[in-house]
Amino acid sequence: MAYLTTFYWGWLLASVLLGFGMGWISVVQHGEGISRKWRWALSALVAALVAAALARVVPGRFGYWLDLGLIMFALYLCGCAVGSWLRDWVVSRSAPPA
Amino acid sequence: MRGLFKWSSKWWPGVIPLVVCWAIAAWTSTEPLEIDLAQRSAAALKGTILDKRRISVEGRDVTLAADAFSEDGRQSAVASVEAVPGVRLVNDETRLVPEAKPFVWSAERDVVRVTLSGSSPLPASKGRLMEAARASLGGVEVVDRTNLARGAPPRFDNAALLLLDQIGKLKDGKITLSDTTVSLSGMARELGGREAIAAALKNLPEGFSVAANEVKAPPYIFQAYKDPVAVTLTLTGNVPDNSVHAALVAAAGRKFFSEKVVDNLKTSIGAPAGFANAVVPALGALSRLSTGTLVVSDREVKLSGDALYEAAASQIRAGLGKDFPQGWQFKPEISVKPAAAPVDATVCQQLFTELLGKARIRFESGKADIVADSAGLLDRLIETALRCPAANIEIAGHTDTDGDEAANQALSERRAQAVADYLVEAGLPANRFSAVGYGSTQPIAANETDQGKAQNRRIDFVVK
Repeated sequence: MAYLTTFYWGWLLASVLLGFGMGWISVVQHGEGISRKWRWALSALVAALVAAALARVVPGRFGYWLDLGLIMFALYLCGCAVGSWLRDWVVSRSAPPA
Repeated sequence: MRGLFKWSSKWWPGVIPLVVCWAIAAWTSTEPLEIDLAQRSAAALKGTILDKRRISVEGRDVTLAADAFSEDGRQSAVASVEAVPGVRLVNDETRLVPEAKPFVWSAERDVVRVTLSGSSPLPASKGRLMEAARASLGGVEVVDRTNLARGAPPRFDNAALLLLDQIGKLKDGKITLSDTTVSLSGMARELGGREAIAAALKNLPEGFSVAANEVKAPPYIFQAYKDPVAVTLTLTGNVPDNSVHAALVAAAGRKFFSEKVVDNLKTSIGAPAGFANAVVPALGALSRLSTGTLVVSDREVKLSGDALYEAAASQIRAGLGKDFPQGWQFKPEISVKPAAAPVDATVCQQLFTELLGKARIRFESGKADIVADSAGLLDRLIETALRCPAANIEIAGHTDTDGDEAANQALSERRAQAVADYLVEAGLPANRFSAVGYGSTQPIAANETDQGKAQNRRIDFVVK
């Protein structure tokens, strides 16, 4: 993992920034999010992919691509979480007290 | 936390550019990553001895195929690659090199090249043996057909290096090392090579032994060529030591009274037993030929050439083999020189005088026995006598003044008679010869010096 991080820090940084941006926007965005059912299905899919990556069952290049994808996705989620939380903090501070 | 959960439902649009990024990252990074991992894996295996090593990388999975020389080595190779940062999986396709039983290594030399075959224990020793072969054979092509195998005996390298040294001493042949036993066959390059190889094999490392040493020595050759045009006797080939060398050259000088002896002999060990005892009489036989070649090869004596007359040819054919030590063979190829044109008595006398001026018929000291060294001279005297069949010849014996006059007289008569008998035996009619002894009454030089005395002890041929 450390090796991949040093090898492709640019792509990983891009994932974090993308996530940060998405998280920043999502706090103030109006409209519907994905439904609860979809959320569970996607979580299960991601869990299955993580399990497959950890068990190293996907061989060769596909295995590498899976690892790469999951790492980028994990960093994207981290970026989203940080972005959303920061935006929320900024919004709540600037909003007039109720 | 609840907010985070709520917001996360709106994070999905960012996944689309993320997937695009991922696709680009995967597209651009896979090959450089594979190349980098292959290089790192190869570097990690640098200190591990493997044969036929092949590293292929797919994504982060390394496939390692190699032949290892021990189970430990095999496992440590796999572990080294697994420890390379970034490697996800190692597909282990390593195996142990096959074990050779018996462990056979051989070096074979033919006319143009040396071929190494069989098994070598490690790539390093394979290379070292190849290098040693090139160095010790200087310029000869070396072909390495050895395979790597386990099961070499301890100190294999030292034994093989010593054997490679020996292959340089062979003209052709094969040296085989089977486990710890050595067998050799072939022909030594030089005389003495067989002995040198046998001596070197005593230094084989502990535990190794010689099962069969069938290296043959090249034939021990001695040659003498009598050239009637250049009036030379050329000696070539080998003699066992300096004393035999000197004895042969001295014998040649005595037997070939008119030829210049050209000595091209060299001293070599490996002569067959009785060498000098066979070569000296063979040189005597050659001295009786007008032109001829003597070839002594090991224990075989081949004499070819032209005798001066028929009886001489028969004597040489029948007589020479008897003088040889046991085990020696004689192969005569003697023909007879065509008879020279007849001449008149005066010319005959001139020819006799000329011949006897170059050399004299020699006898045992104080006796009337003709020494064998004079056979060549006598043959020429007989040949001359045959050219003037009408002439009667007086064979005159002379002595020096040493000793009793009556005894000298008797000795000179007996010596003259011995020569006459020799001529008759050779087929000349007895009535043409009269043997006369003059004792010391007709000196041709002063009897005060040894040289003068030697000149006075003589047989003269006088045409009457």
